[in-house]
Amino acid sequence: MATNEAQATQATVTLERVNTPPAQTWNYLRANDITLTVPNLSRKGDVYFALPQLFDRIQTGMGPKVTQWVTSQAADSTYVEVPAHTVRTQPIVVDIDAQKGQVADTGVMVREGATATVVVIAHGNSDTDVASAALTRIVAEANTHVHLYEFVAVGQHHTHLESVGIDADDDAVLDVRQFLLGGSTSAVGFAAALSGDNARIDLKTRYLARGNETLDINHVVRQLGKKTRAEIHESGVLDGSAHKSLRATIDLVHGAKGSKGNEAENVLVCGENVVNKTVPVILCDEDDVQGNHGATIGSVGPDQIHYLEDRGLSFDEIEDLYVRAIFDDAVIQSPTVDARHAVLARAEEVLGAEIADDLLAGLDIEEQLLDQSDSAKEA
Amino acid sequence: MAQQKTQVADVDRSLYDFVKSEKGYERYADGLTPDIVRAISAKKDEPQWMLDMRLEALEVFHDKQMAPNWGPSIAGLDMDHISTYVSPKTKQAKDWNDVPKDIKDTFERLGIPQAERESLAGVGAQYDSEIVYHNMREEVAKYGVVYTTIEDALHDPKWEPVVHEYFGKLIPMRDHKFAALHYAVWSGGSFVYVPAGVTVEYPLQSYFRLNAQGAGQFEHTLIIVEPGANLHFIEGCSAPKYYEANLHAGAVELYVKDGARLRYSTIENWSKNMYNLNTKRAKVGKDAQMEWVSGSFGSHVSYLYPTTILQGDRSSCEFTGITFAGATQDLDTGCKVILNGADTTASVETKSISKDGGINTFRSSVVVGPKAQNARCTVSCQSLMLDNISRSDTIPAMDVRNPTASVGHEATIGRISDDTILYLMSRGCSEAEARTMVVNGFANPVSKELPLEYAVEMNNLIKLEMEGAIG
Repeated sequence: MATNEAQATQATVTLERVNTPPAQTWNYLRANDITLTVPNLSRKGDVYFALPQLFDRIQTGMGPKVTQWVTSQAADSTYVEVPAHTVRTQPIVVDIDAQKGQVADTGVMVREGATATVVVIAHGNSDTDVASAALTRIVAEANTHVHLYEFVAVGQHHTHLESVGIDADDDAVLDVRQFLLGGSTSAVGFAAALSGDNARIDLKTRYLARGNETLDINHVVRQLGKKTRAEIHESGVLDGSAHKSLRATIDLVHGAKGSKGNEAENVLVCGENVVNKTVPVILCDEDDVQGNHGATIGSVGPDQIHYLEDRGLSFDEIEDLYVRAIFDDAVIQSPTVDARHAVLARAEEVLGAEIADDLLAGLDIEEQLLDQSDSAKEA
Repeated sequence: MAQQKTQVADVDRSLYDFVKSEKGYERYADGLTPDIVRAISAKKDEPQWMLDMRLEALEVFHDKQMAPNWGPSIAGLDMDHISTYVSPKTKQAKDWNDVPKDIKDTFERLGIPQAERESLAGVGAQYDSEIVYHNMREEVAKYGVVYTTIEDALHDPKWEPVVHEYFGKLIPMRDHKFAALHYAVWSGGSFVYVPAGVTVEYPLQSYFRLNAQGAGQFEHTLIIVEPGANLHFIEGCSAPKYYEANLHAGAVELYVKDGARLRYSTIENWSKNMYNLNTKRAKVGKDAQMEWVSGSFGSHVSYLYPTTILQGDRSSCEFTGITFAGATQDLDTGCKVILNGADTTASVETKSISKDGGINTFRSSVVVGPKAQNARCTVSCQSLMLDNISRSDTIPAMDVRNPTASVGHEATIGRISDDTILYLMSRGCSEAEARTMVVNGFANPVSKELPLEYAVEMNNLIKLEMEGAIG
């Protein structure tokens, strides 16, 4: 993992039109991609550890330009292998300290029949503009079960790039949870290839963007094997002058007979100057398949507002309720202490210390957190 | 054991696939040059502003590049092998008896004169680059309704300033490369003006026939529906098949003023050598309604996305469309809606059917502007795959910039389920009848919106064919 502590004085590179989906909409809508300017450390003459070549074949959500940039910036890659027919209880954690501008390149090989949990956490807050990135590529062999948790909880001066690529073989099960909780610019790309028969993915994303934050998401699930299943659900809250783009693609490739793909997004728009762009795509090259998608974009309904106002809540408190629900979910689902700390630190920035404390107290997990911390230390 | 083979037939093109001789026709050289553009303008004896516009558009066409990431390939379209102007040696007639025999025969076979007699308020018939027949019932004309060609409107001192005011404003020449091409070489089309408060009881219809080989058709339709007026306009088009690319790059500009209503129905049935790169756009005023009914059955490649700008408060739009892509067809169709006014509503319902390797791409864009308080929009897209060599993609986009807006979208892609067929067969239907029932039911929401004769035509186009064998 590389740390770019003196980024401000370093050269930069512009990654033009990244995070692109396989099929694109009208260019004038400016919803097809994002262009990012990031630091460009020169590593000329360095020798560093690269992932095995088979990881190069994995399609990543943010695309090859970002992959190339991350691999050029991350001095060493991290390779983790989970042996066949084992259950790895200790999560594989990719911890990105955004304040230090860290960039990580990680490859995980989950061998046949194994179970593994991968946690990617980007956290930190500072007053200076910093860019960080996590590139995570996973090979899930036959009959594996992979849990992937992604937490993007960086501050409002940070740019974070998060690119994931997974290849799933026969009967592999991918369980993915994304919590995208802030950042000046958060660009998140996720691509999964369900290459094997009966492979399945359950991808749930919860996001929050507020103030002048930009959130750019690209989800691509390519269903190649027979009888594969994809369930993709995104939901989020947009406030202030936030700018969000979501591109979600289900690609039913020729030969994926008996496959089904569903995608749905629910967006709650709270801010007056929010820009919300959604491009939900189904590509279908096979007749014996089912593909569905839906999107609902709206504000808090008058009936809901009246109901909650009758119970003594102000309009701002009602909106905070929806935001808090995202953090509640993130805290509950955090599989590690570090992930919970990152979520709570972000909750404190967004909702205040009192509510952040209340998140823990209300969920009665404080003790559990401490317990886990202790056991982690012992380990 | 009885074995049944079922299939949904491809579009029956025999009705449209006949060619008439071009002998004696005026045909300009292939390709695009300023001289050709000047010649078209001179032939029409146009005002200077129109010639200037054409020449500027030609420059824009040459300068503008196609976006590299866009839709089906149009690499097979070579403008150096397209004649932009072909005209039969005849004058525009008001009586079918004055139309040359082979052209009249063409339109008779397409059923246009009969439709005019039975159910239309007026008809315009374009053959290649020029309108050959144009007529409107007197009782409609007496209310001040104008239905003529753009060329005739330009020669009328009363209407020339109106054309000047509206022509090319809704679809600017810089909109895209083929909009620029259109403005450089446009010919034919219709000018319709419906005065305030007038309801035209029967539809007006324009039919466009491209008979010439290796040619383009570039008609321009300009319709102005004044406040409180009401019009139904029908557009039909067809061409015989050649083994050389043809091009259709028309433009349709529709102005629906405050409180007015316009229904614009299209059955597009170009031949499978046609590049259909058409542009349609409507601007809708306060409390006005725009309704599109669109059937796309023909063409080799289509780029067709009618656009509605809901500018006025409480204006509304309904788009109902069906696309049928068979062998060799790559049809990129859909619609765009821009909601700018407060309390505007839009509803989009589309169906697509793919078979025999046909490719359907549905695209939509819904843009809700910052001032569109309480805007509401729903988009529903259903695609039916009839075999495993075809393809169907849906690419909708939504851009919402008002917190009070509500936008919903849903899409489904699939084939006729075995369970559905089994259910219907258990109630006494044959497999063929069951499939027919499902396909008809699938297309029904669109066909019921069409004028009767077009609904019948559409049902003929998508017919289910059974072949049975015992052995």
